[in-house]
This record gives sequence, C-alpha cells and structure tokens, in this order.
Amino acid sequence: MQTIGILLARSTYYQSISFDLYEGLRSGLKHLGKNEIRIVTENIGFGADKQQCYRSAEKLLLDENVSVVIAYIGHRMAQLLRPLFLAANKMLIVLDAGANVPQEWPTCPNIFYHSLHNSLGASIAAKQAINDGYTSAGMVTGYYDGGYLHTYSISKGFEENGGKISFNHATGYKTEDFTVAPLKEHLENFPNSALLSLFSGDFVHWYFKGIKNSFEGQNIPVYLPPFGLDEMMLADAEYPGNNIKGIAAWSKKIESNENKTFIEIINAAGRTPNLFSLLSWESAFIALKVIELIDQSKNNMTQIASGLQSFTFKSPRGTIYFDSKTNTSISPLYHVSVISTTEGKCELQLENMTNDVQEHFDNLITHDLNNSSSAWYNSYTCI
Amino acid sequence: MILCGGKFAFPSLQLLAYEKFICGIGIGKGSNMIIDALERESEDSNISFRSFPNKKNISEMRPWIDTIQPDYIFCISFPFLLPETILSYGHEKFINFHPGPLPRYRGVMPIFEVLKNQETETAICAHFMNSKFDEGNIIFNDPITIQKEDTYGKLTVRLSDRLAQVTLNMANMLQFANRIPNQPQDKNLAYYYEKPELSDTYINWKRMTAGEIIALINACNPWNTGADATLLGEQVKIIIASILDEPHNNQPGTIVSITDTINIACEDNKQIAITILSTDEGIMTANQFSSSKNLALKINY
Repeated sequence: MQTIGILLARSTYYQSISFDLYEGLRSGLKHLGKNEIRIVTENIGFGADKQQCYRSAEKLLLDENVSVVIAYIGHRMAQLLRPLFLAANKMLIVLDAGANVPQEWPTCPNIFYHSLHNSLGASIAAKQAINDGYTSAGMVTGYYDGGYLHTYSISKGFEENGGKISFNHATGYKTEDFTVAPLKEHLENFPNSALLSLFSGDFVHWYFKGIKNSFEGQNIPVYLPPFGLDEMMLADAEYPGNNIKGIAAWSKKIESNENKTFIEIINAAGRTPNLFSLLSWESAFIALKVIELIDQSKNNMTQIASGLQSFTFKSPRGTIYFDSKTNTSISPLYHVSVISTTEGKCELQLENMTNDVQEHFDNLITHDLNNSSSAWYNSYTCI
Repeated sequence: MILCGGKFAFPSLQLLAYEKFICGIGIGKGSNMIIDALERESEDSNISFRSFPNKKNISEMRPWIDTIQPDYIFCISFPFLLPETILSYGHEKFINFHPGPLPRYRGVMPIFEVLKNQETETAICAHFMNSKFDEGNIIFNDPITIQKEDTYGKLTVRLSDRLAQVTLNMANMLQFANRIPNQPQDKNLAYYYEKPELSDTYINWKRMTAGEIIALINACNPWNTGADATLLGEQVKIIIASILDEPHNNQPGTIVSITDTINIACEDNKQIAITILSTDEGIMTANQFSSSKNLALKINY
C-alpha cells in the first residue's frame, strides 16, 4: 500500500489549518479515486522548531517509509530538510504560502514548491496601483507580516514601475499595539497615496476595522496580495470602503467545474473551503504524479523531477504547472475587488484573470534582494 | 571540527562559526597568508587552531582531536589522507565534502573534470570517510547546475558559497537526526581521476571538437592559466575563447582569420575564437598577440 506523509502546522488565528490541510489532501485523493492510499500525519507546531520539523520528517521517511512527504513550511525549513530528502532519495512537496522571497531560488530535484504566491501577488498588486494612476504609496504591514520578504516584492513592484514608496507603517502584533493612526498624518503629508498593505488572518480584520474607523467614507485606496484577500477571513471582516482591491490566488466565485467540485466536496466534508484546503487538494494531484513517476523511473530522482517539470493539471483556480528553473508551481492569479455583503462584511468580486503570471514570476526571481533577509522560520500565518 | 585546505572552505568556516558549530580548525598545506589569517580569526573566536604543513605532521592530529573531543569532524578539501589511527577516533565521525558527484568523480580536481567532460550538473557530495580517498558511504549528493559560461574559477567560487549552506545543513542534520541515511558507493559507477597532467590540459587540435576545446579552456581557467596548446609552433595557453560556428577548409589548428579574435580551425568544421592567451611574453589579447607576430601580414600574404 502506498503511503503519503504530511507535516501539519498549527496556527492561533487559522485554528483549523491542520484540519484543512489534511482534509484537502484526503478529499483530493478520494476525488482522484485513490482511497486506498494511506495518509500519515506528523505535527510540526508552528513550523519554526527545527528539531521538531526534522524529526517529524525523519519519522515519516525512515519509520513510515512514505512515498512522498507534503509539508506546509517555508523555504528556510525546506532548506534544513534538504539533505535528509537527498539522503533518503525521497520527494518533498512544500506547500508554500509564497510570503517569502528566498535568498536563492531552489533547484534541488528532491524538493518542489507548490505555491500560493503571496509575494508575486503583492508585486502584481503594486503594479496594479501604478496602472490605476498612483505614483506615491505607503507600505503598511505589521510586526509579524512585515517579517517576510513580500515586503520587498510589493515595494519593488511599485518602484520598478515608476512609483515611489513615500512612507512605511509597521504596526504591532498584539491587539493593544495594533494601530493605523499614523496613516492619517502620512496621508496628509502624501495625499493621493495608495496603501500597499500586507496582512493575514486576524490582522486583516483589525486593519479593515482600523481603516473603517479612521477613514470612514474616504474610500482610501488599499491594495492587497492573496492572503489579505482570503475569503474565509474576509467573511468576518468589517467592510471598510469601496476602494480595496488586489490579487487573489483563489475565490469560490471562480466559475469552473473543478472549482465547483472542490467546493462541494470540502463542504460535504464539513469544512469551509479555503486557501489551505485548496493547496493540499492540489497537492494530491502532484503527489499522485510523483508516485506514478517513482514507479516509472524506478526511483530515479532526476527523472522524477523532470517528469514533474512537464506536469500540468487543472485545479479549482485554473491550470497549474511547474517552472523548471525554480521547481515552483505557477498558477493563475486574479484581479479582485472587495465588496460589501448585506451584513456589512467583505466578499470578493472577481474582475479578471491576471495576464502574464509567468513573466511576472520570471521578473520576481531575477530581483537582487540587496541583503534583505527574513528571520522568520515558521510557516506563514502559523503563530 | 573542520579540517580544510584553504580558502575554498572560508564561507563554510564563517557560517559554521557564526552558528557556533566549530570547536577546532585544522589546515593542511596552505599558504602562509591563509594560515596566518585563519589562525588570527580562530584566536579571536576562541577556536582551537592547528596547521599541518606536510604529511609528517599528521601524526600530531590524533592527540589534538582527543584533547578537543569534537562530536564530528568535517573535511573540506583537506589535502592529506587520514590514516586509520586518526579515523579510529570514532565510527562515522568523519565527513568529507567532495566538490564533485560521487562515485563518478573521485579524485583531487573534480571541478576540472566535470567541466572538461561538459557535464551540465555537478554536486557536493557529503560522505563518511574511510582510509581511502573518496570511497566512504555516501550521505547525499547535493546537485548544482553548471552554467554554460562557467570556468573553473567561477564554478569553484559558486561551489564554495553553496558548500557553506551544505555544511550547515549537514551540521543540523547531525544535530537533529536519530540516524544518518547513507549507502555504499556503487563500484560500477566509480571512477578515480588522477591529478591532471599536461596531457590532460593540452589541446589536441586533430582530435578535439570545438566544444571539447572550449570546455577544456574553461576547465583550465584560472588554475592552469588556460589550456595548453601549440600555436604557430609556439607553446601557449589559451585563457578565453568561444565557439565560432563557421565552416572552414583548413587543417585543424591553423589560423583561419584574425578579427578582434584569432580564429582557429577545429576538426568538426567549426572554429574557436581566441580572445585572451598567455605566451612566454605574458598574458595578452588576441590583437596584441597577432601584432607581436605580424600575423595579419602573414595571413594576407
């Protein structure tokens, strides 16, 4: 019997993350007619403890002898696991939020990154602000979200398209420290500036509430990347104004058979479809392809990597394939606006599919980080 | 503890020291300047330091290791074979980082060999050490892509930088692992390359294609100051050249034309365009070489 291992992270504000990750994979495999595949899970906490992550992966590989490991971790933790997977000659599929920009884009044949592309979405959202006529912007984030290098991609995306970052505001991560008050002065000094904003989870709620309370009726322009536009979180966020847009990785409003099926199956399993169940649902397609390639190539990792690099599949968010330079998945992204529900909460309105995602990605990977680095080890949103 | 051979190990030493993994540094051979620099840095960081200038001094290594009691000993281009008397310090305690894929590229200069053989990928191989060069059980081969324009120097620098992360990964692995997966080397795939001699670095115009010649030139730059060749009856070293995909009707090894480059006929009906070369008179451009030899005149008449 084939076995797939999955390293499950936990999060204080995405309390269901490990259930969503597990259910996405389980339902995805079932949907693909592979009920017989056994799933073995290991807990990695917030994904920040190196020993815990290593030992969990080691257990899956050496004790459970899994065919492939799936893990919601960041690039740095994947780097730590790299020698283990090389030594064990096994494949690691990293479920990647895409919030960080790695110092060195990965090329290891044993590690493939399946991404939600938060940094890439941030960069495209910044370009959208330029296209909407803004030449001045402020980058707004928090102590936690600001620790990932999507800060770099959103700033760079704005500046390299002719804009200027006129101010930055990074707020605290505790309720009592969280404030958008300094934005008032910034916007007085730099009127007609767009707010390039990086928040996730509960921080989106706090941010929207802050914007609503401080700038009621002003409809200040806010641009967000995929995690700021996560529909599950938006459903409980107060609607702050009608000038909030950005780039989403997925929406339940995407009209396709694949999306309809995904939503129905996850709902039937008693869960709300979200970015995490989506990511692991998709990982079922990739894991099955890996298992098929293991069999075909007699475990030759170079051939398995080559097979994955030419693998394409249809997911709820559109067609997905891997960029062969970085072993990172490329998926459609969507221009969206935030609109109000009848209860005064938020929902997404799909505008159109983003053009030239591959071109944007090729641009992102050529950026020199100018010694910018991230110290966060944990999986994104896992605090 | 790290046993190294010189500056190739510096990025690894810096990173491992920063992460507080190092308790001792030993260097084999090495220039005085490098030994002095390492000794000074080691003292500043309170790390034990020893120099092993020749094989005789290796006998001093075991007492030093016994004093320090390292958990593991990493070897990075350490020039001497460690005898059983040292390896007996502990089973699976010595790990070598070989700058080429094992078992296919055993030997002292795998970087030269992979470039000469026009490989598109090389690797840093972490393996447990035994009393023979590059023959211990393999832990992993960490692959690295070879770029088309890579010379020995460029690839060495990239490997040296990459090695830092690989050694740190290995250190973390040793720290966290319950056991280290490893496997014996496949003898059928194994090949030991001796240290390159003149016959290995010499361009044989009659037998080598343009691609093979360019690969050899890149593989010899800078450590051999280019690939050895005979040009106009003179011994030269070709340092920089590229393929000129133009047919010719000349004998391999003869000068076809001179532009900003000296264009030489190759046996596969292509040419190589030489930009920089080294002669007895010094390192010079193709233009300088052709002027000094009145080549334009000779070609025209």
